[in-house]
Amino acid sequence: MSNMTEALTQAAVLTFEELAFLLPDEELNDQQKAAGNEARVTVTFKGSFQGNLVVRLYGGILPSLAANMLGEMTPPDERTQQDALGELANIICGNALPSIAGSREVFHLGAPHVERYCGSPWLQDQGSASARVSLGLEEGRAEVDLFIH
Amino acid sequence: MLNILVVDDSAVMRSMVIRTLKMSGVPLGSIHQASNGREGLDVLEGNWIDLLLVDLNMPVMTGEEMIDHLRARQDTADLPILVISTEGSQTRIEAIRSKGASFIHKPFTPEDLGNTIRDLTGVSGHEQHDGGFDPSSGLDF
Repeated sequence: MSNMTEALTQAAVLTFEELAFLLPDEELNDQQKAAGNEARVTVTFKGSFQGNLVVRLYGGILPSLAANMLGEMTPPDERTQQDALGELANIICGNALPSIAGSREVFHLGAPHVERYCGSPWLQDQGSASARVSLGLEEGRAEVDLFIH
Repeated sequence: MLNILVVDDSAVMRSMVIRTLKMSGVPLGSIHQASNGREGLDVLEGNWIDLLLVDLNMPVMTGEEMIDHLRARQDTADLPILVISTEGSQTRIEAIRSKGASFIHKPFTPEDLGNTIRDLTGVSGHEQHDGGFDPSSGLDF
């Protein structure tokens, strides 16, 4: 595992555990691998290098993830779910970048952009990811990609 | 009892901070909310606030701009301020600390938050609060 992938993995696992009280599996089971598209969030960043971090959720896990973050038994409304996903991506990005670039570097993060899957394929992200992490979460999974331009 | 203002552009994060405050054992008075620095300054005009919890990256007015406003005013120059942010750059964290604010990194635990607030404010109480989030109880929007 490259240092960049390791930093991204640590940031993603920590965030899912401490923010959403979910224990990610780094080995996916068949159900998690087959889970369908659900939502995607993109956070752009600028600093000593620039790019974006993309988190994709699969398998209908966003409602329970958002409920966990809020400490609620029932899922919140759609807008709040999207807010929760955006905050989660922001925190993964904010934790990963200093580990990759060094703690003295300053990065500016853009507002998260959340998209719900509506049946048509995602537009392809620009280029190939510099680091990619796949984590099993309950019956679904999260894919976290870091693109450096 | 601390009257606290929570400023963050994410409603989810404000709810999480308030829930964590209730779990932290810190003695709580009223908890107020604002979604950016400008709204936060408006809340401060009309309410007695003992502690400000503020994010950095927000639209309209950032947390750093809000801190600069508060430090420039005689009545809020010494207000205890705790920045809660994803910021990981030591350079930027040191700049925040140089303005007399403390810093806690997201994600955080109730213990992290409670201990930091006790160090910052000098309050020593340990109170148990209902961990649930009741928007009708002492919260201003």
